[in-house]
Amino acid sequence: MRRRDLLTLISGAAALTLPVRAQSPPLPVIGYLAPESPEPFASRLKAFHDGLAESGFVEGRNVAIEYRWAEGQYNRLPALAADLANRKVAVIVASGGAPAALAAKSATATKTIVFEMGGDPVALGVVDSLSRPGGNLTGVSSLSVEVSRKRLEFMHEVLPAAAGFAVVANPTSPTADTQLRNLHMAAAALGLQLHVLSASTEPEFDAVFSSVSQLQVGGLVFTSDPYFAFRSQRLAALAVRYAVPAITQTRDFPIAGGLMSYGGDFTQSHRRAGVYAGRILNGEKPADLPVQLVTKVELFVNLKAASTLGVTVPPSLISGADVVIE
Amino acid sequence: MNRHSFRFRSLFQKYFLVLFLAVVIPLATNGVSEAWFGYRDQQTTLDRLLGVEARSAAAKIDGFLDGITDQLGWLVQLPWSVEPDERRRIDALRLLRQVPAIVNLTLLDGTGRERMYVSRIGLNRTESRTDRSADEAVAGARAGRLWYGEVRYYRDSEPYLTIAIAGNRPSVGVVVAEVNLKLIWDVISAIKVGETGYAFVLDRPGRLVAHPDISLVLRGADEATLAPFRAIREVIRRAGADVATGRDGQGNAVAAAASPVAGPDWTVVVAQPLSEAFGPIYAALWRTGGLLLAGAAFAGLLAYVLASRMTEPIRRLEEGTERIGAGHFEHRIHIETGDEFQRLADSFNTMAAELATSQDRQERIAKLKRFLAPQVAELVDRKGDDGVLEGRSTEVVAVFCDLRGFTAFSARATPDEVMSVLSEYYDALGRIITKYAATLTSFSGDGLMVLVNAPVPIEEPALRAVDLAVEMQQSVQELIVGWRARGQRIGFGVGLAMGPATVGRIGYESRFEYTAIGSVVNLAARLCASAADREILADVAIAEAVKGKRALIPLGLRPIKGYDEKLPVYGMPFEERADATVTT
Repeated sequence: MRRRDLLTLISGAAALTLPVRAQSPPLPVIGYLAPESPEPFASRLKAFHDGLAESGFVEGRNVAIEYRWAEGQYNRLPALAADLANRKVAVIVASGGAPAALAAKSATATKTIVFEMGGDPVALGVVDSLSRPGGNLTGVSSLSVEVSRKRLEFMHEVLPAAAGFAVVANPTSPTADTQLRNLHMAAAALGLQLHVLSASTEPEFDAVFSSVSQLQVGGLVFTSDPYFAFRSQRLAALAVRYAVPAITQTRDFPIAGGLMSYGGDFTQSHRRAGVYAGRILNGEKPADLPVQLVTKVELFVNLKAASTLGVTVPPSLISGADVVIE
Repeated sequence: MNRHSFRFRSLFQKYFLVLFLAVVIPLATNGVSEAWFGYRDQQTTLDRLLGVEARSAAAKIDGFLDGITDQLGWLVQLPWSVEPDERRRIDALRLLRQVPAIVNLTLLDGTGRERMYVSRIGLNRTESRTDRSADEAVAGARAGRLWYGEVRYYRDSEPYLTIAIAGNRPSVGVVVAEVNLKLIWDVISAIKVGETGYAFVLDRPGRLVAHPDISLVLRGADEATLAPFRAIREVIRRAGADVATGRDGQGNAVAAAASPVAGPDWTVVVAQPLSEAFGPIYAALWRTGGLLLAGAAFAGLLAYVLASRMTEPIRRLEEGTERIGAGHFEHRIHIETGDEFQRLADSFNTMAAELATSQDRQERIAKLKRFLAPQVAELVDRKGDDGVLEGRSTEVVAVFCDLRGFTAFSARATPDEVMSVLSEYYDALGRIITKYAATLTSFSGDGLMVLVNAPVPIEEPALRAVDLAVEMQQSVQELIVGWRARGQRIGFGVGLAMGPATVGRIGYESRFEYTAIGSVVNLAARLCASAADREILADVAIAEAVKGKRALIPLGLRPIKGYDEKLPVYGMPFEERADATVTT
């Protein structure tokens, strides 16, 4: 109840400032929906702004952006999406994963939505097809969700002696089931045992890392999930503290001291979302813009972390890595 | 006036048109021909340029594929052993990192069995030893070393191409790579044709392989999207030439050229919007048009000014001649053009001046004719000089005559009778005076005075004067016969004398007369007064002058009024005309 009051207040304040704005020709407005707070999103936002500029738009000059941050509380996304849908926005950009895209999709069937996510938008029911998205949505998908099995493969290469690994999934994620199914199939192909651990809140992370030693597994494989991706610092800190070899989807993790990461290049996906948002502002129809898949999947390896953990990274992995942190 | 103004306008129009066309036609001819040749040149340049762009774009696409096949070539250098080849696995993984377009690689040994599979997405496999020798790609590579598959769309969206390369001997095996063609975007988007021109790539069946707008490629096998691209390729193919014009997806006219990419049998098409391709031509055409327009305006102005300057003198001449024609000889035409017009105006002015002089003289002569014989008047007229009438001293013959008994008659008779008699009398005398080219100086009532040898000297004036007097008597006597028949008693006498006298014009303003002053005039008048009817009296000077030529009868000395001494007087006999005699 209090939140709705706050929203009313915000919209009231916006209405009060409206006549002042009406003096100059009103700028087109982008409604930006993100599941996190601005700080972890800074690098993504920069990429998004680069993409907008590529289409000829600069925030504050010829476009205004209204941000809605869910601050890590993904259950707030539907309300924030509905709020944006009720405002005078030219396009809603739902970035940072499938939850935001799905929230935006259910909030409006008329306003154009440009999504940025890691999963398969067709499988998630966001669009009908990649080439002809139809409806009011289009966007960019990185390959992060599809490559979660490769993470298990890389961990197996680094720790060939380990008989099994623990997989961490977020049960609230719409892609969790698909990823787990793929991982089980991959484990069977590689002859590995798999332990599934669940975490959907930060306090659960500790339990996940502390359970590694008891489970007799080689390390942790994180499924692709924005909630994990945006908490790379915390995950890296835990990995260091518990001395656990782990792999996640985002480069932030090895940069912060984790062992490895493998996933889609988020700068590319956010930049392309920016380009698409600009093209929508330029009058193009979402149905004419096929969903783009980001082709670049990047492997980051932190050799310093590897030596601390006492693991040897094989040359085949190092030669295939995009960035090796020494 | 209407007709005048019409003709004036028409002449102006003619001049204007001729002058205007004289400037505009060469200007337009030059402008149009220049524009035309410029257009041809530009088109040739454009054709050549687009052809070069197309070949360069094809070379870049070739380069993209060559980059991949060169890298793949490294994987089929060494023969396979029975053991797993860890070194080759590292090479393959490194290749994946170096060539982002390759999605996965399959390495097969000499027998066509799969020894290794590395992927960005899927799990890697080693030594699965699956027999893949029947695969199209493997068979193709073994047959031709390098094999390109058909372009296909992954999930109906992303264009993929299979490339297979066999080593130079069977034992080194075959490598099969899946290539995501979306990455040609980096190449194709970097190709710029002019400002807004672009390139795209179609495979043999006409699927879009690459386009700067990636979203068009990602639509997959969408007929509506592909149709315009196929149409452009078809237009170029049918044109046979390097360059053809067609329409792009937005319906804009484009100039396009194509070049083949031999390996995968693709076509690279470069297209440039006609508006830009022909931009310089259009600019040149606008420039030419502008110059032509400015030239035409200038020509019009020039023609207007020149035509005005040419017709203005004509108009002035026309007006001037009209005024001069109307008698305004003092009018002068002012033209300062310094050419033939000015000369013409000058001659008009001279003519007007001469006309004025001429008219002046005509008027004077008209007055002279009153007292001069017509022949003399003509002479004066011809000579254009009345200096002959200036006062001078000369030898003249003065002839006086009048009627006898006229005063008594006029008192008796009715005015009609008087006027009738005078009219007949002067008619007869006038004819004779004219005949003898004598000068009538004055007449009053029934008397008149005639001068011979003035103002124009003649041969033998005395003889002429005598004959004149005789003919006068003869004519008047004839009349007298008639008058007497009506009961009127009238006679006619003549007196003449010769001697020096002062002759000239006397009078005032336009009332001038020519007369003689001197004793000879008095003498003649006195002789006339003393002459009886039918008598002609002459002085001694006459007698001397006509001696031997005309018969004169000396009448002895007679007292003459105004002369102290008596003077010798001579009578002149004359024969009356037959009819008159009969009547008597």
